[in-house]
Amino acid sequence: MATSVSVNNVVKKFGNVTVLKGISFHIEPGEFVTLLGPSGCGKTTILRIIAGFLDPEEGQVLFNDKVVNNVKPNKRNTAMCFQSYALFPNKTVYENIRFGLRMRKVPSDEQRQRVENAIAMVNLTGLGDRKPYELSGGQQQRVALARAIVVNPDILLFDEPLSNLDAKLRERVRMEIREVQKAMGITTIYVTHDQAEALSISDNVIAMSNGTIVQKASPRAIYDYPSTEFVADHIGAANIIPAEMGSAKGDFVEVNTPIGCLYANNFHHIKDQKIALCIRPEDLHPVLKKERMENMNIITGKIRNAIYMGNQLDLFFLVNDYLIRASVPKDYIIEEGATIDFAIPRDKVLVVGCEK
Amino acid sequence: MMKKGKRFEWGYLLLIPGIGYILLFIIMSTYVMIMQSLGYYNYTGESGFSLQFWGEVFDQQFLDSLLYSLKIGIGSSMISIVICYPFVLILQKTKGKRILLSIMKTPMFIPALVGSFLIINIIDYHGIVNELLVFLRIIEEPLRLRNDKYGIGVLMIQVWKNVPFQMLIMSSAIESIRKDVVDAARNLGANIFSIIRHIILPLTLPSALIAVTLVFIGTFNDFAVSNTAGPLYPNSLSSLMLRNANVFGEWNLSACIGTMMMITTILLVSIYTLIAKRLEKLD
Ligand SMILES: Nc1ncnc2c1ncn2[C@@H]1O[C@H](COP(=O)(O)OP(=O)(O)OP(=O)(O)O)[C@@H](O)[C@H]1O
Ligand SMILES: [Mg+2]
Repeated sequence: MATSVSVNNVVKKFGNVTVLKGISFHIEPGEFVTLLGPSGCGKTTILRIIAGFLDPEEGQVLFNDKVVNNVKPNKRNTAMCFQSYALFPNKTVYENIRFGLRMRKVPSDEQRQRVENAIAMVNLTGLGDRKPYELSGGQQQRVALARAIVVNPDILLFDEPLSNLDAKLRERVRMEIREVQKAMGITTIYVTHDQAEALSISDNVIAMSNGTIVQKASPRAIYDYPSTEFVADHIGAANIIPAEMGSAKGDFVEVNTPIGCLYANNFHHIKDQKIALCIRPEDLHPVLKKERMENMNIITGKIRNAIYMGNQLDLFFLVNDYLIRASVPKDYIIEEGATIDFAIPRDKVLVVGCEK
Repeated sequence: MMKKGKRFEWGYLLLIPGIGYILLFIIMSTYVMIMQSLGYYNYTGESGFSLQFWGEVFDQQFLDSLLYSLKIGIGSSMISIVICYPFVLILQKTKGKRILLSIMKTPMFIPALVGSFLIINIIDYHGIVNELLVFLRIIEEPLRLRNDKYGIGVLMIQVWKNVPFQMLIMSSAIESIRKDVVDAARNLGANIFSIIRHIILPLTLPSALIAVTLVFIGTFNDFAVSNTAGPLYPNSLSSLMLRNANVFGEWNLSACIGTMMMITTILLVSIYTLIAKRLEKLD
């Protein structure tokens, strides 16, 4: 039975600093949600409140629609993988991972089996007898991960569980986490700084800024249709251009910007608010021969830098003193100094809100 | 490379104050004591090797005193730590913990002799405790707690004096356990007892060992408290030693007793350490 998690209007203060300013979200049973946001925005604090280590000043946490604010952490059946690892320094790797099973009074044969599976899953075979101080940072992190996963909790809470692993291992373990999570149907909240990780692993991404939730959406939606400048800037690369709303033109709106008047997609129906435009670099297409274009904005610029990235070519050019970035397929041969027209589909020019 | 080696040698000079102190006051005096027990370094009369004093020292009085001192040493160090642990654990969760801790520390700053008299006033034949117990009709006659046969008064004074000292060590040991380690245990389903058993006890065991050892050394070799509140016979090895030297002028015998006190202390501390190592492995 998978568990749903609801957070209703949670406010958390440390002294007179309000760290969470009324957070609400709902997570379906078995859903995998990623919290994404800059350092210090309150991600760990939310996990600690859900796990029960912190009491919110206001608001409620519900598991399966039951308020758990007064349920002790050891009765919540969550398993957290700590950002600081928090391994038991006196216990071996094996005993660290076994601890949760012991507390749950799992039969000892089964304990051994499950611990060994977990050790294999995180590539720590043969290190079971080591103490935490005899491990590297990444190895310790994998122990923390195994220790949380092995108990098959109702809710998994990951606080940057892969931050210390190399790219290869990270990708592999990430996939394993996702597989286990799906197979068991464990509701999972996953904190990461790595936006590629967030997009690739989750059902939904929650973008946070400064103690508030800015947007919750599927990876595709949050990338294609970020609701604010902040989200656009933090998830993926984006050209953010200050803008002023003009009049509506059919499906699009006319928007005045320093790089000219553009037709844009007001997907979130933003009005009466300061706005900007978000244009993803890969949505700028160089126009090399004259062709008829429907529903395209055209801007023209002189290439300042052309940077070969292997999988693509990054072009930086100035339009009215405004630096714009375009990512084009790697086969283009474009010299620095050339003046080039770029076409941008109207529906890919997105109106986003600005923070005050 | 050469230069580095040279500078290193000069660096050893910095150790002179420390090593000199150890050599002069600890190793030398221990050496003199041991040699005295073998008949050397006599202040009066002849000096020369003799096992005579070692032959004489193990009489009934010595054995009674040794047993008494062991009882006080082991008893007070163990009782103190048993009292200390829950105290410190509860204090961690209490508001105003700093103030409480500093109040509880006061016995440490009262000299043993003064403390001894303070407590004697409470446990004396007509002291507060006895008067109260009699008044409440819990006992008919006041108990003899001071200078009692079993040294209960001494134990009480030593515990009173040493619990705060151990609390100092133990509270810093418990504070040094990272909070998220305890959180991790709770998160994995451990209740308060499992946390104490699996996390706090094993992690504070080395500190507890130090606390117990230091108190044992102090109380096993104590003189002041036993002399004021202890039984008339047997009394501590320290008093026996002092009496042999001062009253009977038997310096060599005193040296034998002193040597035995040292050996016993080292022996017991080693046993404590061994037990602690075993316990650590056990987990
Ligand atoms: N115990 C505490 N006392 C006071 N302030 C705290 C405490 N814990 C966290 N904070 C503050 O709360 C804010 C949010 O902290 P939190 O640990 O949730 O950030 P985070 O989003 O997890 O950051 P990071 O990505 O760096 O881990 C920070 O500004 C931090 O300074
Ligand atoms: Mg954090």
